[in-house]
Amino acid sequence: MLYFDNSATTPIHPEVAEKLDYINREHYANPSSIYNQGRKAKSLIENARKQVADAIGAKSDQIFFTSGGTEANNQVLWNSIENDKKHIIASSIEHPAVIRVINKIRSFGITSSLASVDEDGTVDIDSILKLVNDDTGLVSIMLANNEVGTIQPIKEIAKKITRLNIPFHTDAVQALGKIPVDVTSLGIDYLSLSAHKFYGPKGIGALYIKNKKTLKSFIIGGEQEFGLRGGTENIAGIIGMGIAAEIATKDIDSCYSHLKHLEDYFLAKLHSISSNFIRNGNSNNCLPGLISISFKGHKSDVLMAKLDRKNIAVSNGSACNTGNIKPSNILKEMGIRDDLNLSTLRISFGKNNNEKEIDKLIEALKEIL
Amino acid sequence: MRDTIVIGMSGGVDSAVAASILVENGYNVEAVFMKNWDEEDQEFCTAAEDYKDALQVCEILNIPLRSVDLTDQYWEKVFKVFLNECEKGRTPNPDILCNKEIKFRAFLDYALELGATKIATGHYAQIKTTDNNFQLLRGKDSNKDQSYFLYRLDQSQVSKSIFPIGTLDKERVREKANSLGFLNHNKKDSTGICFIGERNFRKFLKKYFDEQPGEIISDKGTVIGEHEGLMYYTYGQRQGLGIGGGHGTIDAPWYVSDKIIQENRLVAVQGHDHPDLYHSYLTATNINWISGSSPGENDIITSKIRYRSKDSGCKIKKQSDSILVEFDSPQFAVAPGQSIVFYHNDVCIGGGIIEARSNTPSH
Repeated sequence: MLYFDNSATTPIHPEVAEKLDYINREHYANPSSIYNQGRKAKSLIENARKQVADAIGAKSDQIFFTSGGTEANNQVLWNSIENDKKHIIASSIEHPAVIRVINKIRSFGITSSLASVDEDGTVDIDSILKLVNDDTGLVSIMLANNEVGTIQPIKEIAKKITRLNIPFHTDAVQALGKIPVDVTSLGIDYLSLSAHKFYGPKGIGALYIKNKKTLKSFIIGGEQEFGLRGGTENIAGIIGMGIAAEIATKDIDSCYSHLKHLEDYFLAKLHSISSNFIRNGNSNNCLPGLISISFKGHKSDVLMAKLDRKNIAVSNGSACNTGNIKPSNILKEMGIRDDLNLSTLRISFGKNNNEKEIDKLIEALKEIL
Repeated sequence: MRDTIVIGMSGGVDSAVAASILVENGYNVEAVFMKNWDEEDQEFCTAAEDYKDALQVCEILNIPLRSVDLTDQYWEKVFKVFLNECEKGRTPNPDILCNKEIKFRAFLDYALELGATKIATGHYAQIKTTDNNFQLLRGKDSNKDQSYFLYRLDQSQVSKSIFPIGTLDKERVREKANSLGFLNHNKKDSTGICFIGERNFRKFLKKYFDEQPGEIISDKGTVIGEHEGLMYYTYGQRQGLGIGGGHGTIDAPWYVSDKIIQENRLVAVQGHDHPDLYHSYLTATNINWISGSSPGENDIITSKIRYRSKDSGCKIKKQSDSILVEFDSPQFAVAPGQSIVFYHNDVCIGGGIIEARSNTPSH
């Protein structure tokens, strides 16, 4: 298979895969148990916590493991129902794991405002500030968009928001491993991560919490994760995430330039076979290797089917649970017409991709377009 | 290269087995899951379940499953017409319109765009090719025959269609599904109108219509009850009239015999044999002949005035843009809006929409 859907998920790093297998077999003891094997498991978790913390410039006690990015987002957003201030601001192009949560918690007394984005998918700082009111208790803006890759000016926004004493959350699920992520320089209060987006295992993620006291427990049960998330730890997942985070940050420079090179290589080749396409997003400030393209006069579901026949995997935004293609909400918010919206493919390269594979993709597109 | 056939896969057992037969016959098969209806209320949402069932079948058959969203077209071409007909107090059949406009038009176009030479569906019907003509035949399982729903297709539509299970009976289809390991082998047959499914018809329609209650009167003109709106009732309907005891003389159930649209009144009569429930003539419009030409006036043909009704002998007289049908024997509950479908032995030759019924040939 030619796999160009690395923004959906990445293939697991072999070192991580090996470790998962080993941990599952050798370290099955419950980390809450006080005998030797339990203590050992717990210390492995704490080691992974340190690895994840180091990857984003945080301290170990600011990292809390979750079942993934979705849960991390949910944890921050749901906490609003216990806050005094009940108004949330988010961007209009957040992932459903933010937008749909905000919609859901309306019935718990939460109000919300969505800040618009420009045609590149960049959120406007002033429009966020205009939405702030006395009741605003949280601002949540993604670090980089999953469909078009646009990187948001989080540092600038967070500076203005935190100055107003409003906590700031960023969903960084798409960013880690592709661009440097540093919580201190970003100046944010909460940050969500998902391991499988950077060659780690699925079913594990983390939430960075600047000050633990600002959140209450989300999943109620045992005392795991310092009381913030009950449930026996996913030991192998946590350790896999730790290793993946370490590799991702160690390799960040080479990974960035590799992905950027593949992106440039692909676009140059594409230009040589077609001129009837538009790239969406802000190509000057975008995740490397993530390319959203509208192929004028083609339907994305038909393009996908034809690529699928050649065993080539790309994406067209978000499919629902029946595999149907709806116009992407994100592209809509960016002001892209419905016909172009429905002719859009997302191609996202990963570190395992190479020029030869892209040649084959171009070959296939040449035939189809 | 082998011909590519796109099968419309619903998640049900019929289309699943149809796909398996195509695979056995050596076609290059791709399945497409069609979504025609947006579910707002989660309570009735079955599309995700159906998709999951379709996926399991496709994994076993090792064929790809794709999806197409035809909800906009369905709304425009089928549902709006359906509502409009209901509002006029008629009894529309949206599944017939869905076949004509969605499955064998929008879906067919999509399949051709994907590079298919033909589409296949899990309908119980057969196609026979005679010199330059594609005939639609009843399904072999007379209990399941679905040719009634397909009478509005034309030659170009029939010529691009395959009905792989048309020669099987339902029992055999389920056996085959079971032996292939399809998890949907004993899934309940879908009943009723596709978008309404199992839910209460009246409750569903109430979302779309204002309340229009009125009187139910007997054939003698006595008020015997109240109805909730004429669109919720059909001719010959027995249940849900709410006519209590104390009305009428004989101890027999009440049936809807007529709708007086201008007065918003429903007429009910007592007993299944009441003569007001029977008519010997009807006129039909919107006529479609599958072959492209009408049958001769002396051809021996039979007809069905609703799905699953028994065939009745009849004669057809062509009028300007309608036909007059004379039945050999009076028909129970002829419902305007429903379709009358004609057969010549096992060949479904076409049909039309019932406009009016009477007991005299005079109009």
